[in-house]
Amino acid sequence: MLLDAVIIVLRETLEAGVLVSLLLVVGNRFRLELRWLWYALTCGFTGALVYATNLGSVSEWFGYVGQEVVNASMQYTIYLCLLVICWLISSPLRINPRILALFLAVTAALAFIREGTEITVFFMGFLHDEGVRVKAVTSGFIGLMIGVSVGVLCYYAITSVTPRISRLIQMVILILMAAGMVEQATQLLIQADWLPATMPLWDSNGILHEQSLSGQVAYAIFGYEATPTLVEVCFYISAIAFIPMVLLGFRYYLLPVVTEGNKL
Amino acid sequence: MSLDINPMRHLVIVLLAFVSSQVLAETPVINIEIRDHLFYPAEVEVPSNTKVKLLVINQDPTPEEFESYELNREKVVLGNSKTVIFIGPLSPGEYPFFGEFNMSTAQGKVIVK
Repeated sequence: MLLDAVIIVLRETLEAGVLVSLLLVVGNRFRLELRWLWYALTCGFTGALVYATNLGSVSEWFGYVGQEVVNASMQYTIYLCLLVICWLISSPLRINPRILALFLAVTAALAFIREGTEITVFFMGFLHDEGVRVKAVTSGFIGLMIGVSVGVLCYYAITSVTPRISRLIQMVILILMAAGMVEQATQLLIQADWLPATMPLWDSNGILHEQSLSGQVAYAIFGYEATPTLVEVCFYISAIAFIPMVLLGFRYYLLPVVTEGNKL
Repeated sequence: MSLDINPMRHLVIVLLAFVSSQVLAETPVINIEIRDHLFYPAEVEVPSNTKVKLLVINQDPTPEEFESYELNREKVVLGNSKTVIFIGPLSPGEYPFFGEFNMSTAQGKVIVK
């Protein structure tokens, strides 16, 4: 068994699995058909394949930092989609289920592209080595199954509590995951030298090591980073604060104006 | 005679000085090659508190992923290609990195002095 294949597939599946399980909870809450997930899977896998086969030219963009810029753009887009989802599910207005399904599908598809590309590139390396290829695929399948199991576990953990608590958990995790996306994207732009790099503010590896399984789960859920820099912390806090600000701003400032306008 | 000190003007001057120093400062470049799923050199020395540009050249036909938890860096390098990764500024110490696609062999570290 190729341990590398298990770890790589597990790490990537874990991130997408936790996010998709949360989106599934939201979708089921609004009684959406699963069609959005099939669209997301199809677009995600096709997108991952296209991105992986063109990664060579993408990597050369912007002075060899194209990968960082494209990945960061995808993650910032996921943040915006999650912001819209938070708004849709908390809005007192009657929402169109199709719009919610569309945003769930786009978010999941981007997550599949982001995580699927790395897995595709890894397996493309074994295309011409038949002996290793079978082992790699088998090991990758084991990693995939562990990652999917964690996702299923998350799904049942969120839905096993009372609906009121479940709604609260959904909102909190959606916001944390959205902020985690911003944190990861910001780190990529620092790596690309598009954002200023500074010394890390702290090192919390002693409390929760990033490489540990719990560290990886924390990374998947809220973008846990043991040694963040000032820019990352600022972006992370702003990303967290911005969502409740938008939701409250809509509810207490925009909604009264809209409903008043409808009455006239 | 009183000096008219505008705080905004001061802020702009300080910011411009900072930006120009960042632009003018030459970023050191360090080459790292990947051959037979090994990093050459496996240990690279960089100055402390300095941003460094790593030029990673993959000589293998298979892809590799440069990864380091300590440096907070992760990037795929396709086979027979090169890429750029900026690291630092860092405080003195050792920062291990590895090739995620070949973890058993591709190991290295950045030594900050």
